[in-house]
Amino acid sequence: MTNHLPLLDIRNLSKSYGAVKAVNDVSMHIDRGEIAGLIGPNGSGKSTFFDCSTGLARPDSGIVVLDGQDITGWSLNRIAREGRMLRSFQKTVTFRALDVEENLIIAGQMFAFPSILSTFGVGKRSRQRISGLRERAHELIRMAGLWDVRHQPAGNLSGGQQKLIQFASMLMPEPKLILLDEPMAGINPKIIERVVETILYANKSLGVSFLVIEHNIDVVTSICRRVIVLDQGTKLVEGLPQDIIQDQRVREAYLGG
Amino acid sequence: MSLTQPSEQARRRDYRVPLGILLFVVALAAPFIGSRYVVHSLIIALVFMLPAHGLNLLVGYTGLLSLAQAAFFGIGAYAAGLLAVAYGTPFYVNAVFAGLVAGAVALPLGVPALRLRSTSFVMCTLGFVIIGQAISKNWISLTRGDMGLSGIPKPYFELGPLSFSISGTTGFYYLALAIGVLATLAVWAVVRSPAGRNMVAIRENETLAESLGVPTWHYKLIVFMLSAVFAGVGGSLYAHYLTVVSPLTFQMYYSTTMLIIVLGGGAGMISGTIFGSLLFVGLTEALRITPELRMIAYGLCLLVLVFWFKRGFAPVINRVWNAIGGAK
Amino acid sequence: MFSTILEQVVNGIVTGSIYAIVAVGMTMIFGVLRAINFAHGEYYMLGTFGAWFAIDYLGLSYEASIIVAVLSTVVVAYVVGRLVMQRMVGAPAEAGVLATLGIALVLQNTVILVFGGGYKFFAGGYIAPVEIFGFSLAQQRILILVVCILVFIGLELMVSHTRMGRSMRAVAQNVECCEVVGIDVPQVVLRTFILGAALAGLSGVLTAPVNVTVYGGMGELITFKTLPIIIMGGLGNVRGTLFAAMILGIAESLVATYIGLQYRDTVGFATLILMLMWRPYGLFSTQARF
Repeated sequence: MTNHLPLLDIRNLSKSYGAVKAVNDVSMHIDRGEIAGLIGPNGSGKSTFFDCSTGLARPDSGIVVLDGQDITGWSLNRIAREGRMLRSFQKTVTFRALDVEENLIIAGQMFAFPSILSTFGVGKRSRQRISGLRERAHELIRMAGLWDVRHQPAGNLSGGQQKLIQFASMLMPEPKLILLDEPMAGINPKIIERVVETILYANKSLGVSFLVIEHNIDVVTSICRRVIVLDQGTKLVEGLPQDIIQDQRVREAYLGG
Repeated sequence: MSLTQPSEQARRRDYRVPLGILLFVVALAAPFIGSRYVVHSLIIALVFMLPAHGLNLLVGYTGLLSLAQAAFFGIGAYAAGLLAVAYGTPFYVNAVFAGLVAGAVALPLGVPALRLRSTSFVMCTLGFVIIGQAISKNWISLTRGDMGLSGIPKPYFELGPLSFSISGTTGFYYLALAIGVLATLAVWAVVRSPAGRNMVAIRENETLAESLGVPTWHYKLIVFMLSAVFAGVGGSLYAHYLTVVSPLTFQMYYSTTMLIIVLGGGAGMISGTIFGSLLFVGLTEALRITPELRMIAYGLCLLVLVFWFKRGFAPVINRVWNAIGGAK
Repeated sequence: MFSTILEQVVNGIVTGSIYAIVAVGMTMIFGVLRAINFAHGEYYMLGTFGAWFAIDYLGLSYEASIIVAVLSTVVVAYVVGRLVMQRMVGAPAEAGVLATLGIALVLQNTVILVFGGGYKFFAGGYIAPVEIFGFSLAQQRILILVVCILVFIGLELMVSHTRMGRSMRAVAQNVECCEVVGIDVPQVVLRTFILGAALAGLSGVLTAPVNVTVYGGMGELITFKTLPIIIMGGLGNVRGTLFAAMILGIAESLVATYIGLQYRDTVGFATLILMLMWRPYGLFSTQARF
C-alpha cells in the first residue's frame, strides 16, 4: 500500500523580520521520492522558508507536517534526528578540523544511538554501532570518490570536495528528505556533475526526497521533477521545469522587480 | 611502500610504552624517592587535577569557557566535610556524596545559564563562585561562616571486616593517586565514547552539529554537570587533606588555576591536563614559589597562551610524544 | 527616620558615583573592543596606590597625588593597551576574557609583591564633614559627586562633538566599515582604553580618603561590582551604566543598613545572576550606544 500523502506538507507559512514580511502565506508540498526545486530571485524568501521549515527560525504562523507528523516549532536537531529531514548550509559545510571519516561518523551517530545517554557508553554494543557507522561511512566515502583522502582533515580539501563530504554526511542518517541550500554554488563544473550524480543516486537507490534551492537552471531542469517559484515572499507559480522557464511571470520576477 | 621502509621503522623504536611504565613506576615510588614536601606537592597537584579534568571536558572538548569550577569544588569540599564531621562516614561515601551534590547543584544553575551567549555565560559562572562564597560566609548555621569547618576526620575506609584510616602524607598520596587514576580513566571513557565525539562536534561547529541531529544544549548541560561532579570529588579530597574547609575555597583564584592547568597543559587533551597539573600546581608548590609570583606567572601564561599558543602546549606535547613513539 | 533613609540614599548616590566613573570606562572599552576588561578594577587600584605612594613616599600634597595617580594609571594603561588590548581587535570573546584575566593577575600581584600585601593607610583628602539636610557628609563625598557629574557631562560632549567621540561611536557600531572609511581602529581602541583606565584610576584616588584602607587586592572587588553594572546598564550604553551604577550604590547602602553589612558586596552580582537567569537581554538596551 503506497502512501499518497505528501512527505512534506507546509501550509500557510508566514515569517516577518520586523516590518519586512520575508515569507507571506506560502503553502507547498513535497511528494515521496521526488526531487523538487525552489527558485526565485534574491530576497524572495527562499532561505527564510528553509529556516522556518527546519527549525532554525520560528514561523509566525502556518504549520509544517513531515510524514504525517506536525513538526511546527520543533528544534533543528529534533527535526534532523526524529524527523529525519536534514538541511544543508551554504557556508557551513564540514567540521574542518576533523577528518572525512569522523565527519561522517558524527553525522550518523544520533541516528544509530537511541538516546543521549546511550552515547556515553563504551561497551560492546556502543562499539558495534560505531563499526556499523564506520562501514556505512566507508561506502559513502567510496561513492563520493573521497576514499584516498578519508583521513585528511576536511578543511584541507577543496570546496567541491567539502561539498561532497557534506553531502555524504547528510546521507548517513538515512534521511527521508534533504533540503539543499544552493548546493552548486561556488564549485567547479566537474564537481557539479559529481554532486548531481550523488543526488540522483541518493534519490533513486536510497529513496531520499529532495527540495533544492538552486540558481543553476541547467541543474534544475535536469534533476527536478517539479519547480516552485517564490517571489517577494509569496509563491508565484509551480509546475514542470520546462513550463516554469517559459512562464512570463517568472521571467518578469527575475528581470523586473 | 618500498622494501626499505619496514626496516627504517624498526630502527626508530617506540619508546612510549616503556616510558609510560617508567612514569607509572616513578609515580608509585614517589614517597620513597622524594621528600615529604615533594609528595605534598604531588598531592595538591592531584587534587587540582580532578576539577581540571572536568573543566577540560567543558572547555577543551565542548568549547565552553567556564569559571565556575571553584564553586563546585567548594560545594564538594563542604558536602564531604559536613558529612564526615556529622556522621564519620567512610571516604568513598563522602567522595561520592560530594560529587553528587555538586552535580545536582549544577543542574538548576546550568539550565538557565546555558541559554546565555558566551560573554554572559562566563560572567554567570563567575557569579556562581561569588555567590557560593557569600552563602558559605553567611549560612552560619550550616557552614559555621568565616570560622570554617574544622576537624574533618582522616579518610576512613570500611571494607568488609577491614576498617582503617589513612593518616600521613604517604597514605594520602596513594589515595589521591588512586582517585586520580580513576578520574583519568573516567574522562578517557567519556572522551572515547560517541558522546565525546559529539562534544567535539559542538566545539567545532555548533550549528552544523545541531543540523545533524545533535541536541547541543542537552550535551552542554550534561557536560556542565559532569564537570561539576569531577570538581566536587576533588573538593572532597581537598577537605580531607586540609581537614579544614572555609569560604576561602570559593575563590576565583582556584578557577583561574584550573583554567591555567587545562589551557596551558593543552585543552582537549587528557595528558595535557595531567601535564598541566604537574607543571602549574605541582612544580610551583614544590619550588615553594610565593603565591604572588605564582599568580604573576599564571597571568603571563594566560597572555602567552592567548597570543601564541592557542592550543596550549598540546601540539608540542603531541610532537614530543609522537617522536618518542618513533614517528619522524 | 526619614533623614536616616535620606542619608543612606545620599551615601548610596555617592557610592554610585564612584562606581559610575569606573563602570563608564569599562563599558566604553567594551563598546570599541567587544571585550570585557576583567582587569578594570586594577586600574582603580593603581590610581589609589599611585596617590598613596605620592603622599607616603614622595611627601606630596593630596592635590598633587591626584595628578600622580592618574598619570601613573595612564602610563600603565598605555603599555597594556599597546601590548595587549590593541591586538584584541576582532578576537573572539574568550580571548578577551583570558587576556584581561592575565593582566589582572599580573598587575594585582606585582603591586602586592612590590609594596607588600598588608593594609596601608591613606592619609589625605578632604575628609572634613559638611552639614547638609540634617546630616553630615564628608567634603570628599561631595567632591566625588561633582566629579562624577563633570565626567559624564564631559563624556556626552566629547562623544557628540569631538572627532575622537565620533570615531568611538563608529568603531562601536561597525568595525569593518571603519577600516574601509579610514578610521584607525587600533588607535581609537588605544585611546578609549587609556581614557577608561584613567577614569578608573581617578575614581580610585578620589575614593581613597573615604575608604582609608589601601591594599593590593582591592581592585578585584571593584571589578566584581563593575561587571554587573555594565551588563545591567547595557554593554556599551553610557547613560544606562550611570543609571545602573546609581541603583547599585543606593541598593548596597540600603542593604548594608537594613539587612546586614555582610551582604552589601554581594548585591551587585546576586542581582546580575538573577537578571541573567531570568531576563538575559538586560534591563536596558544592549545595543552599543554612546
